[in-house]
Amino acid sequence: MGALGHFLEREGIATTGISLVREHTEKVRPPRALWVTFELGRPLGQPDDPPFQRRVAKAALDLLARIDGPLIADYPEDVTEEADFTGWACPISLAPTQVDSLGAEIDRLATWHDRAVAARGRSTVGVSGLDMPSAGALVDGALAGSLPPAQPLKEAIDDLKAYYLEAASAFPDSGTDRMRKEWFWSETRLGEVLLALQPKLAASDDPQHKILGNLTLIPALERHRLAKR
Amino acid sequence: MVKRLDDLPEVEANHLRRVECPTYDDTPLLGGKPLAERRVAIISTAGLHRRGDRPFRPGDGSYRVIPAETPARDLVMSHISVNFDRTGFQQDSNVVFPIDRLRELVADGAVGSMASVHYSFMGAFPPDAAKPHAQHLAGLLKADKVDAALLVPV
Repeated sequence: MGALGHFLEREGIATTGISLVREHTEKVRPPRALWVTFELGRPLGQPDDPPFQRRVAKAALDLLARIDGPLIADYPEDVTEEADFTGWACPISLAPTQVDSLGAEIDRLATWHDRAVAARGRSTVGVSGLDMPSAGALVDGALAGSLPPAQPLKEAIDDLKAYYLEAASAFPDSGTDRMRKEWFWSETRLGEVLLALQPKLAASDDPQHKILGNLTLIPALERHRLAKR
Repeated sequence: MVKRLDDLPEVEANHLRRVECPTYDDTPLLGGKPLAERRVAIISTAGLHRRGDRPFRPGDGSYRVIPAETPARDLVMSHISVNFDRTGFQQDSNVVFPIDRLRELVADGAVGSMASVHYSFMGAFPPDAAKPHAQHLAGLLKADKVDAALLVPV
């Protein structure tokens, strides 16, 4: 991110930016950065909180007036952590033993995904161009047979993950984002399939499969699950 | 709440410590007009694009074009990394791509105007791969009379 500040400012476009990882910004030294303490993936802080987001954007833009950089300004507001309700369980059981196939799980979630789309007015599914049953079939086939090329497989997996997490947001007792991610990795058949697929991708001779298996399939925070298998 | 890398779970902190950061001998700094007279573009590195546009791939240093009138429902994310939250973006695209906030700042006079086109890179790019694209982008921004960019990571 900071590198773009250097490139653009040198070409005549003044830049300011948000920094999520202060240590990186301290190394890259872009012209102007507003350091925030928010979760990675949420540079403006709070979803569905326009006043909060506007304050962050304005604070970053106000730095354009300064020519005493490279500078890092600390943003004063934090985001409060979501309340954690221990004992939360997904109210409709989607545990691997409850469905006989990935396809059945995907099908069972369809009505909840419809509800999520109705509530939010949008979906972020749609990178792969596949419908969800086809994306599921691609992933299933990768585990059962020969591996498809890495790029369409990655796109199908990202779409499925978005579909699952969007659907879960519409469950009657949907819990927090963190709980739904825990549900995805510990209770869904898709999570199980991705964990099972990892060693197969990592062992492939194709370098793109290796990148997917080793870096871009299982989040760093979830890789401990691989060791338990 | 993220404070410093040392405050993060060890496995996540180690992942971020391994990210290679480019260094520069000096940092250019441009003065210019007050914010209320500037024309601002958003440049995201979240791997955003319109549904149907070419998804990002590993090592991809190119950008995608997001016209200002693009509805939120047309935006998708194909960043290759799995080490950041996507549920915020699923809930509200402005938490990643604050175009409605910029529009509001223009409406209340805090910002002069908004670019007609915004852009997204995919942050996991090697800087050398992005440099020629960024230089080309500067020309496009100037053609749109943009004189300031808000860089938003993910």
